Amino acid sequence: MTDRNAIIDLRDVHKHYGEFHALKGISMEIAEGEFFSLLGPSGCGKTTLLRSIAGFEDISSGALMLDGADMAGVPPNKRPTNMVFQSYAIFPHLTVGENVAFGLRRKTGLSKSDKARMVDEALEMVGLVGYGARAAHALSGGQRQRVALARALILKPRVLLLDEPLSALDKKLREQMQSELRRLQRQVGITFILVTHDQEEALIMSDRIAVMFEGRIAQLASPQDLYLRPKSRDVAEFIGVMNFFEGGFQTGAAGIEMTAQGLGAARITGDQIMGSGSGTSCAVGIRPESLSILFEGETTSERIAEGVVDDLAYYGDMTYYEVRLDGMDHPLTISMKNRAGRPVLERGVRTRVAWDPRSLVVFS
Amino acid sequence: MRRSGWLGLYAVAYLIFLYAPIIILPLFAFNDSAVIAFPLSGFTLNWFRELTGIEAMHAALRNSLFIAVMTALFSTLLGIAAARAATRYNFPLKAGIMGLIMLPLVLPEIIVAVSLLVVAVQIFGMPLSAWTVIAAHTLICTPFCIAILNTAFQNLDPALEEAAVDLGETPQSTFRLITLPLVIPGIISSLLISFTISLDEFIIAFFLTGNEPTLPVYIWGLFRFPARIPVVMALGTILVAVSIILLAIAEYYRRRGLARAGQKDTGGFL
Repeated sequence: MTDRNAIIDLRDVHKHYGEFHALKGISMEIAEGEFFSLLGPSGCGKTTLLRSIAGFEDISSGALMLDGADMAGVPPNKRPTNMVFQSYAIFPHLTVGENVAFGLRRKTGLSKSDKARMVDEALEMVGLVGYGARAAHALSGGQRQRVALARALILKPRVLLLDEPLSALDKKLREQMQSELRRLQRQVGITFILVTHDQEEALIMSDRIAVMFEGRIAQLASPQDLYLRPKSRDVAEFIGVMNFFEGGFQTGAAGIEMTAQGLGAARITGDQIMGSGSGTSCAVGIRPESLSILFEGETTSERIAEGVVDDLAYYGDMTYYEVRLDGMDHPLTISMKNRAGRPVLERGVRTRVAWDPRSLVVFS
Repeated sequence: MRRSGWLGLYAVAYLIFLYAPIIILPLFAFNDSAVIAFPLSGFTLNWFRELTGIEAMHAALRNSLFIAVMTALFSTLLGIAAARAATRYNFPLKAGIMGLIMLPLVLPEIIVAVSLLVVAVQIFGMPLSAWTVIAAHTLICTPFCIAILNTAFQNLDPALEEAAVDLGETPQSTFRLITLPLVIPGIISSLLISFTISLDEFIIAFFLTGNEPTLPVYIWGLFRFPARIPVVMALGTILVAVSIILLAIAEYYRRRGLARAGQKDTGGFL
């Protein structure tokens, strides 16, 4: 948490749809000017939470404070939030300019020329200069997305809510819009709350991420903390790829000693241990890029294990190996950069694998 | 002959079977003879001229127009409410309720007519009038209106209304600014189709009309006078032309509505 003011304050928010318990006690603060992501698989409650902030859903219990004011009973048109919908919801019978100007209808004290200038500025901000007179239904997916952004940002909301805004775009356009959204957010300084199921998108764009499973926040952290120090095995598996070993740890006078099947024993520090369970039968995790294949003639100061290449996938810039270490029944994923002089190993060959105890995470 | 040749022949025969009787109407409406028989004996506009002088027929026409306009208004209003509910909300027994509402579409009209006659006269003791016909026509037209308006409302992304509210509009102004402009083609189409159905309808009108017949009932009465038959042909010609024009306009608006919302055509009546 930064020292900025909390623009959104959720206190034990619950939401029931009949029998279904969609939000199970969400408590968190979102800071002013933050790029915040709600990340989780479909049905985890992230969209429900976003729609509750917008005012389209009434929360069943708890409190939702926006800019210091309790939002209970406040309809969406009276909240200082604006939303970019998954379908963009561009009004098909209006022009691009009329769409962008739509929210200004209720703003009194603005002359016609003021409004026209604001529309031009908003269109310029999203890179659609000169599109004002176009028919909205003739736009491409990426352009609709930009119109939706301009239409929401022209009102200078305290919080901009984005409901899976990039999911309908193809990969290339999505990557371009990711960096553009980030730039736009820095430029306007408005708090953005993004709902996404794409962990990579959340990591790239966010200041902080709340990972949600089944109506609860599993972890709320910065992208780096989330990736390097996932609090649970579920989070670790949802964010990127992680290899798991069966193992345990013991705390002695000399520090903490961890043992893992296939890796052996190693000394670790307390902050590598997640959870407060006992040291017996833990899951020990390591990321694919923290493991490396030791090619012939190469040496390392890291620890070494041996195994057989089960399978591999060549990606051009990277090769992903599936290596089964001696004494293990499932293979590990290892990602290697294809540097000059490095061969691509074949299936079935024996190889050495280097690893560093500092990159282990233990889930107790 | 190839298979497609036989199919082509079948299609032509089918169309002749469908439309040849209707083509008879204008043929004899312009034929200069009081007897309906071939060969034709020359062109005349006399039958149309004679139409303008029959006061009883003008009364029947006014009666029919009044009934058709009221029916169109009532059934479209009911249709809007039902279509809105069916496409936006989920409620218990929704499928069953919608099925019951749509049922008059397939009920024999004679059954509807007889049972409504019993209800109106025996149970409510209502005198037969234009209003009993309007009530019955509304009953049979509403399913058509719902079918048309369902398409219009289904094609309306719920996020559009939410976006308008999110941008500061009230639910009422959202309906006026967003919902109405996007479904208005469907509403016009619904008005025109229910108007046409009511204008043409005979069985129910025959049973429920009082001493002020509708146009179809009046036409039926004319058949007792063989000399009047060419006049009926002229009147029929006008009615067919008006029906085709109205249905074409209705379909035009339905398609324009789809195009406006950028949607694909998923059917319709024409």
